[in-house]
Amino acid sequence: MHEMSLVESIMESILEMKEENNWDKIRKIVLRIGDMRQVIPEIMVFAFNTASKSTPLEGAELVIENVKLRFRCRSCRKEWGEENMAFLCPFCGSMDVELLHGMELEIESLEVETKNG
Amino acid sequence: MAEEVEIKQSVMAADEKIAERIRNKGKEKGVLILNLIGSPGSGKTSILEATFKAADFKFAVIEGDLATTRDAERIAVLGVPAFQINTHGGCHLEANLIEGPFNELDLDNLDVVFIENVGNLVCPAEFDLGEDYKVAVNSIPEGSDKPLKYPYLFYEAGAVLLTKMDLLPYINFDMELFRKDVIKLNPKVPVIEMEPVNGKGIGEWVKLVDRWIKEKRN
Repeated sequence: MHEMSLVESIMESILEMKEENNWDKIRKIVLRIGDMRQVIPEIMVFAFNTASKSTPLEGAELVIENVKLRFRCRSCRKEWGEENMAFLCPFCGSMDVELLHGMELEIESLEVETKNG
Repeated sequence: MAEEVEIKQSVMAADEKIAERIRNKGKEKGVLILNLIGSPGSGKTSILEATFKAADFKFAVIEGDLATTRDAERIAVLGVPAFQINTHGGCHLEANLIEGPFNELDLDNLDVVFIENVGNLVCPAEFDLGEDYKVAVNSIPEGSDKPLKYPYLFYEAGAVLLTKMDLLPYINFDMELFRKDVIKLNPKVPVIEMEPVNGKGIGEWVKLVDRWIKEKRN
């Protein structure tokens, strides 16, 4: 249940940004979360809706963009996805493999209302 | 007026800053920081007790538990500096909880700080505490399917400690599968088989920690 900790951290950052930029309201928060991060989107949204009650973020929509695993072999340069969850290249057998996608855990964008609009 | 603003900032930006401060201080003092992660009852505290008996390096322990000070008491009785953090139901440690106790340690007279995380294979793996390496602890009775079920921990681990090897004859544990799955996630990670309660296999672990200390100070 690390979703609640993540939500607290997200709220803290966004409230800071809101203050700094003098935004009136946050309508939407878009997150990008990779599959390696073991985050359950439904729990994340539930945690956000609960934690944001009675705060300036209440009512904002939390959208989670899921990023699938993507591997690339540094030797033969071929790529593959979660069907082969391994740091061993299924094409040439090399162990020199990098994870291109799946580690994402970021606030991608916000939809905000500005005060003088 | 509504507008869309691009942010592209890590969700854990605030905590990552604290983790970086801890890491920098460890670097400055030449102190290795290891984050032990495993299920409840996998043998994390027993590994630390056995390490105390076998190692020449000096270490301190920061213990994370939901409740009680039992683990810290087990360590303190050996004369090893031990701090207990109670997370009061929280399933993992975060850098902001570690920084206080870490700064209180006499780092000039230490080689290693072990952080024993809350018993859990999921959440602790996600949070950077400023450690040099995460160490995955998996016991034989937990079964051989854990690496692929909890891939993030095994992917991130600097070492995998396989504990309670003495129970292998009594348990349906597929060693070949376990090793294959670990290699899939982390091809170069050392897997050390051990029986912490009687000290078997601890020597290899202590050697690895010694090597990490030397690498850190070079």
